[in-house]
Amino acid sequence: MLDSVIFLLASTLAAATPLLFAAVGEAVVEKTGVLNLSIEGMMAIGAATGFVVATLSGSYVQGFAMAAIASALLSAVFAGLVLTFLANQVAAGLAIGILGLGLSVLIGKEFEGTTIIPLQDLDLGTLSELPFIGPVLFSHDVMVYVGMATVIVCWWVLSHTRLGLIIRAVGESPSAAATIGYPVLLIRLLAIVFGGAMAGLGGAYLTLAYTPLWAEGLVAGRGWIVVALVVFGMWRPLRIAIGAYLFGAVSLLELFIQGQGYAIPSQLMSAMPYIITITVLAVISRNPRLIRLNHPASLGQTYNKSA
Amino acid sequence: MPYRLVARTEPSLRAQLLVPLAAILLTLLAGSLLFTLLGKNALDAFYAFFIEPLTTRYGIGEVLLKMGPLLLIAQGLAIGFRARVWNIGAEGQLLVGAIAAGALALHFESSDSVWLLPAMICAGTLAGAAWAGIAAWLRTSCNANEILVTFMLSSIALQLLYYLVSGPLRDPMGMSFPQSALFGDAAMFAPLMDNTRVNTSLLLALIASLVAWIFVQRSMPGFKLLVGGQAPEAARYAGFAQKRAVWIGLLIGGAAAGMAGVGEVAGPLGLLQRSISPGYGFAAIIVAFLGGLHPIGIVFAAFFMALIYVGGDMSLVSVGLPNSSTTIFQGMLLVFYLACFLFAHHRLQRIEIKR
Amino acid sequence: MLLSFLTFYFPIQQSLEEVMKTWIKSARTIAWSLATALTIGTAPAQAQDVFKIGYIYPSPAGDVGWAHELDRGRLAIEEKFGDKVESVVVENIPEGPDAARIMNQMAAQGVDMMMLGSFGYMNDGLKTAKRYSDIDFIHASGYKLLDNLGNFQTRNYEAAYVAGMGAGFVTETNTIGMVAAYAIPEVVGLINAFTLGAQATNADISVKVVWLNSWFDPSKAQESARSLMAQQSDVIFSIYQDTPSVVSVAEEEGVYVVNTSSDMKQYASNQLLVSLQISWADYFIEQVQASMDDTFVGSAFWGGMADNAVSMASWSDDLSAEQRATLDSTVARISSGEFHPFQGPVIDQAGDEKIAEGDTLADGDLLAISWLVKGVETQLPK
Repeated sequence: MLDSVIFLLASTLAAATPLLFAAVGEAVVEKTGVLNLSIEGMMAIGAATGFVVATLSGSYVQGFAMAAIASALLSAVFAGLVLTFLANQVAAGLAIGILGLGLSVLIGKEFEGTTIIPLQDLDLGTLSELPFIGPVLFSHDVMVYVGMATVIVCWWVLSHTRLGLIIRAVGESPSAAATIGYPVLLIRLLAIVFGGAMAGLGGAYLTLAYTPLWAEGLVAGRGWIVVALVVFGMWRPLRIAIGAYLFGAVSLLELFIQGQGYAIPSQLMSAMPYIITITVLAVISRNPRLIRLNHPASLGQTYNKSA
Repeated sequence: MPYRLVARTEPSLRAQLLVPLAAILLTLLAGSLLFTLLGKNALDAFYAFFIEPLTTRYGIGEVLLKMGPLLLIAQGLAIGFRARVWNIGAEGQLLVGAIAAGALALHFESSDSVWLLPAMICAGTLAGAAWAGIAAWLRTSCNANEILVTFMLSSIALQLLYYLVSGPLRDPMGMSFPQSALFGDAAMFAPLMDNTRVNTSLLLALIASLVAWIFVQRSMPGFKLLVGGQAPEAARYAGFAQKRAVWIGLLIGGAAAGMAGVGEVAGPLGLLQRSISPGYGFAAIIVAFLGGLHPIGIVFAAFFMALIYVGGDMSLVSVGLPNSSTTIFQGMLLVFYLACFLFAHHRLQRIEIKR
Repeated sequence: MLLSFLTFYFPIQQSLEEVMKTWIKSARTIAWSLATALTIGTAPAQAQDVFKIGYIYPSPAGDVGWAHELDRGRLAIEEKFGDKVESVVVENIPEGPDAARIMNQMAAQGVDMMMLGSFGYMNDGLKTAKRYSDIDFIHASGYKLLDNLGNFQTRNYEAAYVAGMGAGFVTETNTIGMVAAYAIPEVVGLINAFTLGAQATNADISVKVVWLNSWFDPSKAQESARSLMAQQSDVIFSIYQDTPSVVSVAEEEGVYVVNTSSDMKQYASNQLLVSLQISWADYFIEQVQASMDDTFVGSAFWGGMADNAVSMASWSDDLSAEQRATLDSTVARISSGEFHPFQGPVIDQAGDEKIAEGDTLADGDLLAISWLVKGVETQLPK
């Protein structure tokens, strides 16, 4: 029994990591008032690029780096559309998402169905040997910890630094922020590119550590779960992290319960994150104070500097 | 910078017509680059993609078959989009419509009543509208963002479909495969052209286009919706204009998508199964934008998107293009369109430098 | 190294012009191989007497898995008939309304025969076959027939039984975990046969199953395998998962694994207990010959070990010579028809006797099997 609990907790950390990267990145983007719905496509690009580069070069570092760069490039195209060409954010996000999915298939085609040795777990010495805590917390690959660190850094930057203040101001009212003299477009551009890079890392984690193989359709809707997670976590990195871990735990628990011999409708479990998120969204949106504190007021609106 | 961007006081009609053409041209250019890189003759590929489907009766039938749901959904969505109500969950509304109609067809499996199909159309339309109505209700009563809610309702609808076809609606004689029994003949749309799969559900889409055109161009509610959406500050004082815009926008979009779902299951499919729509709900968003959110523009856009779908499948067989080229084409088309669209509402003005 | 990646995509030569030329050339070569890898390109129409065959696969042919085995069947046809046949292959075609269009397009291209590689193509295949009575169709794992539409399946349960016997030998926890796609008769039959085989060599076997409700979900398959391992399973049976994800997890975790369709030794050189290899070569060649001779009649083919359609590939070296002898003799007895895996008495989960002492399960009942044998702990999803 204890083995099973350890397994569930330990696997949850790994299962949540791809979501964690992408969701924290998207939270920063949304905090500046930009809704980027192309996460699914950007994760796919990251997954394919990371896998191809790591396979060819034999280096995980390069795999992850190139994945981040490739997805950041794609998100820069998105940034160009919504910032320079004043395109509708919803439409631009869908367009880039579709493009990303299509391109990922081309990038990874020669490697379809091939495997790679997964990123190895770190050896943390005595820490990894501690009973219970060791296998749960201290026997993971490095990216699990990088993911956690990213969450903490993003949380700290958003809530405790001047940069965070500027980001929130831009998301609240870009025209007011511009009046004060903040570089609205630059801030948004940087946030979008950062969000893209994070989605790329999340995708690459799937192919280099988690599954570890490349196959078309591997991202399997995670990009959309990320969009839901950001709302579920009310745009706050720490809560998003909790949401990601909860989601990971629930999806693993479903498989685990099945193995124990209980029949549960798996479709209900799959729909659960969305049902919960809608409920959370309805509750927080109802409360003007909560929404003012968390929801970026200009989310999804085109900002036109000259207007 | 010697030029700057200036908003046009009135969107230029000429520019609005040129934008989609420019987007198509740019897509073709980028596409030819891609095909050349793939080692294919770009002209052969374009022929297979855009001409070949239109050279046979069957091909035209297939394009029209694809066009039906895209057109119907896009017309519905565009009405909401004009009012800045962002329903991105048409895929789910389509599925719910298909489920409602399918359940009816399966329940009256042996019926040969002429009223079965109309009843299915009503059930599907209402179900789609109701599914979108959840988002409208959450938006108007709780202020919940409809982009996020409609999208998440889509994912829930998909799981609902999976549950139903592997449980309650599964064909008892179907070897436990996750799909329903075949519908009876009375539950199917009649063929429209011989030797093709295009059926009378296309007429629904064309009628919907006409209604949308009248609605948007001629009638007061259409005008008010426009006002309510495009100038929320002004309209807010005029009462509940914004709330009404949300309700109307979402309900119409949902109803159209639900109806399109009926067209799919009672048309080419003839049963409920796990894969009902190849992403029509999302593709229709592209169609709505590509058509400039204008009822007539959308008809052309729907035709062109349908052509890309069918051409993609055909070139798969005849030229050996990769399966993903359809997706890439669609993505590029919308990217270029969105980029070009800037110039429908803005123009470049030379800045005179005074010395 | 970044350099090797760069040189893969951007080979560096002396002059700039040279660089550009080689770059374009290599990019083309790569792209060409990419393109041919995913849709084996079609040559322009040739002479009239070439027998043209269209193949539709539900997933990319890849290196292993269901579509890969179908594609090996195609290669066997090409090897046998050489220039006399021409192939049109499309892969990764979803089982939706669009499959019909691909079939019609192939018919328009003048194919003489069509191979439909997935159950979900059945209704569209039926319609197309009715429309084009001069084209012969063979369809994977369906159950409807026409004069010009036959279907084919393998008796994988034969191999599953033998693999189960092997699992009974090597398990120490007496717990077997299975990662299964859908609860269709084909899969239920495999679970039962494997369990019965394991119980034949080890009386205390219990079996846990995770239903994925998907033919393709590598991440979830991998998670399922891990959760089964955490629940003491030390042999994992991966049923109809097209990717090697379960197999490579088993290798990583040091747990024995059995898989279907293809030999996956390359992904688990230490931990692969055995693969249930399927082969369509003989059947495909026979059907193509019949179609060429105009003697084709749509029939249901259910090939087993006796037809060379199912075999055991890459047994683990960890089995003793004695154990191997037992397994090999079971294979021989199944091939000769002397032994049937579903031989009574067989008791189901509820304790009811499903097959009486001395009886064997009839083909018709096996094709529609919807109960699990005693020893399987998981229930069928409702």
